[in-house]
Amino acid sequence: MVTALEIKAAKAAVLTSALALTLTFVAGGIYRQQIVRLKKAEQPTASAAIVAEGRLFFVKSCAHCHGKDADGGEDAPSLQKIPISAAHMTLVIQSGIKGDMPSFAKKYSEADIAKIVGYLQSLK
Amino acid sequence: MTIPWEQLHGAMTHFPIALLLFSAACDFGSVALKKFAFAYELRKVSFYGLAISAVASIGAVISGIALTKGNMWGRAELGWHHRFIWPAFGLLVALAVWRLIVRDQMSRTGFYVYLFLMFLTSGLVAAAGYFGGELLIAGG
Repeated sequence: MVTALEIKAAKAAVLTSALALTLTFVAGGIYRQQIVRLKKAEQPTASAAIVAEGRLFFVKSCAHCHGKDADGGEDAPSLQKIPISAAHMTLVIQSGIKGDMPSFAKKYSEADIAKIVGYLQSLK
Repeated sequence: MTIPWEQLHGAMTHFPIALLLFSAACDFGSVALKKFAFAYELRKVSFYGLAISAVASIGAVISGIALTKGNMWGRAELGWHHRFIWPAFGLLVALAVWRLIVRDQMSRTGFYVYLFLMFLTSGLVAAAGYFGGELLIAGG
C-alpha cells in the first residue's frame, strides 16, 4: 500500500520536475533569441557607397526588366523585399534563370555583383 | 576567451550518468541481496548517488544548452539526443525529490514503482548518451 507521505512526495516531485523543465526551456529559448539577435547584428550591412554603386549597376543592367526602383516590370518580378538570402541572390545574378534571365557572370565581377546584392538588400 | 563547451559538456555529463546507473544498480542490488545486512547500506548509497547525480545534471544541462546555442530540439542525432534527455532529466529530478522526502519510509509498492522509474530513467539516459556520442563522432 502506498503511504500518504509517498503521495505527498510524488506531488512535490512532479511539481519540481515540471518547474525544472519549464525553467530549462525558458532559459534555452531566451539564450537562443540572444544568439539570433547577436548574429543579425554581426551581419555586415553594405555601406552607402556600395549601395550607390550597386544601384548604378542595377539601373544599367537590370532596371529595364525589374523596374527603375526594382519594383517589378511586365516580365520580371519586384526585387523589393524579396525573401531570398544574399548568397542565393548572388547565385541567380551569376548563373541567370534558364529562359527568363541572362547570366551576368561575364559582365560583372564578384565584387560588382556583391554591390548589386548590397543595393537590393538595402531595399528590404 | 571562448569556453570549450563541447569538452565541458562531455566532462559534465559522464558524472551524473555514471552516478545514476550506479544508484540504480545499488537499488536493484538491495532487492536481490535483501537477505544480507548490507542491503540497507546499498539503499543509502543509492540515495546519495541519485541526489548527487540530480545536482550534477544541472551542470550537464547548462553546458548542453550553451553547446547547442539554445537549440532545445534540433534534427537527426541532436533531435534524438534531446527526445531522450529531456524526459530523463525530468524523471531524474522527480525521483531525487521523491526520494529526498520519503527517505527510508518507503512502502513496498512505492519502492517497486520507484525501481521501475529508475530503470526507465537509466534507459533514457543511456539512449541519450548513445546519440550524444554519435553527434561527437559525426562532428569529428
